[in-house]
Amino acid sequence: MDSFQAVLIAQTIVNGILLGTMYGMAAIGLSLIFGTMRIVFIAQGSVLVFFAYLCFWLFKLAGIDPYLSIIIIIPGAMVLGAVLYYGLFKEAAALQDRISSLLIAVGLMFILENFMTVVWTPNPRSVVTSYGFASFTVLGIHLTLNRLLGLGIAILATIGVFLFLKKTVIGTAVRATSEDVEASTLMGINPNRVNAVAFAIGMALAAISGINVASTYSFDPVYGFDVAIKALFALTLGGIGTIYGALAGGIIIGLVEMLGAYFVGGGWTQAILFAFFLVALTFRPQGFFGRTGQKA
Amino acid sequence: MANPLLEVKDLDVSYGDIHVLWDVSLSVEEGTIVALVGANGAGKTTLLKTVSGLMHARKGEITLSGEPIQHLRAQEIVDRGVIHVPEGRRLFASLTVMENLRLGAYLPRTRPLFAESLERVFSLFPVLKDRKEQKAGTLSGGEQQMLAIGRAVMAHPRLVMLDEPSLGLSPILVKTIFQLISTLNEQKTTILLVEQNVNQALKIAHQAYVLKNGKIVMCGRGCDLLVNEEVCKAYIGERARKPNG
Repeated sequence: MDSFQAVLIAQTIVNGILLGTMYGMAAIGLSLIFGTMRIVFIAQGSVLVFFAYLCFWLFKLAGIDPYLSIIIIIPGAMVLGAVLYYGLFKEAAALQDRISSLLIAVGLMFILENFMTVVWTPNPRSVVTSYGFASFTVLGIHLTLNRLLGLGIAILATIGVFLFLKKTVIGTAVRATSEDVEASTLMGINPNRVNAVAFAIGMALAAISGINVASTYSFDPVYGFDVAIKALFALTLGGIGTIYGALAGGIIIGLVEMLGAYFVGGGWTQAILFAFFLVALTFRPQGFFGRTGQKA
Repeated sequence: MANPLLEVKDLDVSYGDIHVLWDVSLSVEEGTIVALVGANGAGKTTLLKTVSGLMHARKGEITLSGEPIQHLRAQEIVDRGVIHVPEGRRLFASLTVMENLRLGAYLPRTRPLFAESLERVFSLFPVLKDRKEQKAGTLSGGEQQMLAIGRAVMAHPRLVMLDEPSLGLSPILVKTIFQLISTLNEQKTTILLVEQNVNQALKIAHQAYVLKNGKIVMCGRGCDLLVNEEVCKAYIGERARKPNG
C-alpha cells in the first residue's frame, strides 16, 4: 500500500466518524424517547431534515449564519418537541398497546416528507457559507471547518445531555422512568412530563444534527428516513440505555458506510451496512455497550 | 370521632372481566399499623394498587381524611402523602441509592423537607448512608427493602402502604424489617401492611383485616386475630399458637 492510499483511507475514516456522529446524535434522541415511551420514533430523521430546511431558509432568506441559527432553532425545537408530545402522543401513550403511538410517528414522518417536498421541492439543497469549506491539512488528511465544527457541537451536545440526565432531578426522573414506568409513577413522577422532556431533548438533538447536515452535506425531503434507519441501527448496535453507546454505535455505522463505499464501491453501501448489522446482531444481540438486564 | 386517615367503602375492582374485589371496606386510623392478610391471590395487592391510583375501582369510595381520592391520578395521590411501596420493591436498579432517595422526594411539596427526611432515613437505616453512591441493583435483599421503605419516607408520607416487605428475606432480616416498621410507626407514620407472613404482621398490627377471595372475611385487633382459631388454622399453622412459639 503506498502512502497516497494510506492517506485516502485515513481520510475516509475521518469522514466516517464525522458522518457517524450525526447518526449517533439521532440515535441518542431515539434512545431517550424509546426509554420513556417504548416506541421507535421513526420520524426522528425527517424532523432532522426539517430543521436542516429551516436552517437553509434562515440562511437564504434572512442571511442568518447556520451556526448562529442554533440559538433560535434549539429552543424552538424543544418547544416543538413538547407540543408534538402533548398534541399527538399524549393520549396514545396512556394505552398499554404501543401500536397507535408507532403509527402516529409513521404518519408524522410521511406528513413531514410531503410538506417538505411541496414547500422546498424534491431538489437537493445545501447551505454554503463563505468559511464552511475552508480547509486544513493535518498529516495529509483534509479537514473542512464545517465538519470540525459539526463534530465539536455534537460532542458538546452529547456531554450536555449526559449531564442533564445525571445531575438534574427531572433528568434522573427520565432515567427512572426508562427503567420502570409504574414505579416512577409511584414516586409522583408524571409520565407525560417525562415523555415531553424526552421529546424536547430528542428534537433539540435533531435540530443540532439538522444544522450540521445543512452546512456539511446536501439533503432532500426523503433523506430523513435513511437517517432514521441508520440511527436505529446505531441505537441497536450501541445497546439501548446508554448515551455513549448510541453515539459509538452511530460512529460505527458511519465508518462502515464510508469504508464500504471506499473499498467495494458506492452502490454497495446499503447492502454492506445491512449485512454488517445483521452479522453484528447475530453475535451480540444485546449490542456492544448496552446494560445487561439487571433488576432490583 | 374524627375521620379515619384512610377509609375504603364498598370497593369493587376488576381486571377486565375478572372481578377481584367485592364490597371491600376497611379503615386505617391515624398513627396505627393496620395489617391486611390473606392467601396468595386474595386481592391484597389489587387493593393497594387501587388506593394508590394505579388501578381504578368500578364502584365504591376511597377517602383520605374524609376527602374522596378514588378519581385522582397516581401522582396526585402521592402528592397527598399516600405512598405505596410495591411488591418486589421496584427500585431503580441502575440508579444510585442517593438517586433513588432523591426521587422519593420528587414532588415540590417534599423538596423543602429533603435534608430533614434524608436524616430520618439515615438514622432509621444507617447502612444506606454507607452505600449512598452504590447502585441500588448491587444492594443485598434486606438493604434493598430498606431503601424501598426509605424512599417512601423521603416523600414525607401520611400513610405508607407496604406490599410484602418481608418477601424473599431471611428470617433474621424479616425480624429486622418488622422492627423497623414498628419504629417508623412510633415516629407517627401510619402504616397499611400487606403480608403473607401473617404471624409477624399480626404481632405488630393494631388492627387487622383478613381478605379471602376478594372479600373481607374477618377483622379485629391484631392480637385477637393472632389467637383466633380460624386464622391460625388457615394462615399461621399450629406452631405459632403455642406460647414462645
